[in-house]
Amino acid sequence: MLERLKKLLSGLFGNKDQIKLGIYGPPNTGKTTLANRISEEFTGEEMGSASEVPHETRAVQKKEKVDLKSDGKEISMNLLDMPGISTKVDYKEFVDHGIDEDEAKVRSKEATKGVVEAIKWLDKVDAVLVVFDSTDDPYTQVNVTILGNLEAKDIPIILVANKTDLEEADPESIKDAFPQYNFTQISAKEKENMDDLYRKIVENV
Amino acid sequence: MAKKKKNKDGVKIEFLSKLRLQEKAFEDKLDMIMDGVKDENILVLEEALTPQEKTQLIEKSMEECDEDFPGIEFSGFDARENWIEKILGTITGKPQKNGLLIVGSSDVMEKVEEDKDAISMIAKLE
Repeated sequence: MLERLKKLLSGLFGNKDQIKLGIYGPPNTGKTTLANRISEEFTGEEMGSASEVPHETRAVQKKEKVDLKSDGKEISMNLLDMPGISTKVDYKEFVDHGIDEDEAKVRSKEATKGVVEAIKWLDKVDAVLVVFDSTDDPYTQVNVTILGNLEAKDIPIILVANKTDLEEADPESIKDAFPQYNFTQISAKEKENMDDLYRKIVENV
Repeated sequence: MAKKKKNKDGVKIEFLSKLRLQEKAFEDKLDMIMDGVKDENILVLEEALTPQEKTQLIEKSMEECDEDFPGIEFSGFDARENWIEKILGTITGKPQKNGLLIVGSSDVMEKVEEDKDAISMIAKLE
């Protein structure tokens, strides 16, 4: 109730021209690749560097004034690429990816701070894309917790099943696990079905 | 922080009843969970956490993460309240939290697989 009141007051007196669209999800689901695609398409510039090493994005990346257009409609937004939310960060995982142990420990510390920062932003975003890796089991506590939190705050959600270009992708399993939410399936890397995502953003955000 | 020595006999599993948990404020429960998992125990709580409480659990575990404590794994069932429980929760100011939560250090709980109505996990014994 308090959240709704705050949003209403913010809408009446604050600057709501720029919608804050957060890109959430566990590490390595392709959030930064997706943010880069959207940013590149509508501003001509990428946002950050994507990597196969988990927790590559360890601080919130922002791109202001992204004017997204689809089907004759337009919304102006600030795009926020969030660090991946995780319940654990083990420096040994970075070492396994060939990173020096001291550097791995520093990264690990930064990654934990990034998770906390992403959680704190849950109170500030206006709408969220929750990004899934279509090759992974979608029913995890991280996903359930993110979605439950956003739902409790009445924040519009679009589930994005990413990496559909991979042979083992099973985007339907995501739809089946969380049937109550808006859903689309894409490959941000191969730029597949991005128009459907843009349509859903202007319709639902 | 010095790494705590693991229990050589195996993994200790603590079951905490609803009655015992009801007496505690959430912040106290959170401290109790973190103390338990950092001792490398697995805790089974006869109570579900709300999404906001789970978020606080993740946040707290990330804040306490270091070279010796890489974080947590948790899983559970969240029983939905029926309308009588919702009204009761509103009147008493204590929401009904039927369900179950299993939580442990990710050093001990290696893997958790779950569905809406089934959970399986693998506990490391060394």
